[in-house]
Amino acid sequence: MKLIPFFLTGLFAVNFWAIPVASAAAAKPAVGKIAWFGTWQGGLAEAQRTGRPILIISGAPQCHNVPGVW
Amino acid sequence: MDRSFLSHKSVVAASRKFVCIRIATYEDAAENAVLKRIFAPGGTLQNTVFGILTPDGKTSIVRAGRSPAWAFGGAAGPGIHQQAESVLLKMGDTMEAIALAYPGKGKASKGPLPLPYLADLRVALNVTACDRQPLVAVYGNTAQRKTMEAELTKLAWSDQFMGQVQYVAASKAEEFKAVKGLKAKAGFIVIQPEPFGLSGKVIREIAADAKAGELKNQLAQALGKHKPSELTYDQHRRAGAQAGKRWESKTPNTDGAGRSRPR
Repeated sequence: MKLIPFFLTGLFAVNFWAIPVASAAAAKPAVGKIAWFGTWQGGLAEAQRTGRPILIISGAPQCHNVPGVW
Repeated sequence: MDRSFLSHKSVVAASRKFVCIRIATYEDAAENAVLKRIFAPGGTLQNTVFGILTPDGKTSIVRAGRSPAWAFGGAAGPGIHQQAESVLLKMGDTMEAIALAYPGKGKASKGPLPLPYLADLRVALNVTACDRQPLVAVYGNTAQRKTMEAELTKLAWSDQFMGQVQYVAASKAEEFKAVKGLKAKAGFIVIQPEPFGLSGKVIREIAADAKAGELKNQLAQALGKHKPSELTYDQHRRAGAQAGKRWESKTPNTDGAGRSRPR
């Protein structure tokens, strides 16, 4: 998979860690939990439809084969 | 899986501007291939994969790895679940910046969202047990599910329910073989997964023709009956091993290599 460093997109010519986006923690109250799409196809379709970026994570729902824990 | 970055308030707040996808590793060959494209040192799919991608899903925007720590720093081994506040804020702030660069397609991005379904009931029981959350099965034939989805979607992305409950589609009674108490032929089936996610029981059955207002009230009541496991991580592992609770993934578990994070 290609990796395009975010700061090379041309949208931010400075170190993007320093972009003056207000710290989300300071700007907004706690908002519960992340709402996850549970399949790649379902999530990708939504990202393509809306043009929003994708946060993806995966994990086997077991630990030493014991299920019910990430 | 990470229990620090992804529950931090700055990351949760920023996630509302992303499409968030979480899939169970080793359960689907096609999804395994996607994960391997994102991160697979030496071509080996790891137990956990993390990435932030462009909306077409083809390009990584930040460094992919086994966890957000690979992109944002912090502990990647011991201590992974107790990251420094500065590292957690770095992820949240980076996501906010990325969201500015990918603001969505205007009206299209504001349209009704689809239900964020899990793959199937087997995986859904386990995933909701992992998250200690209730599960709603949208159960019926294609036409019934379409009607139910239209009502449930009005609620699923509201502040009251977003991230508090998970969803799966089901069309046949046989899919509920691990769920006790199913009586309805169709409807919104609210399920309490047992702690190890191999089975579950019906908390409430809500009629398939329930409209959003009634559905909201009934769903809120049903979710209030959900009793999450109170076992610690270690207690859970020990109890599961002693009870012979065992998960068999659908594809081979290839985890092992590539655990260390290159500096």
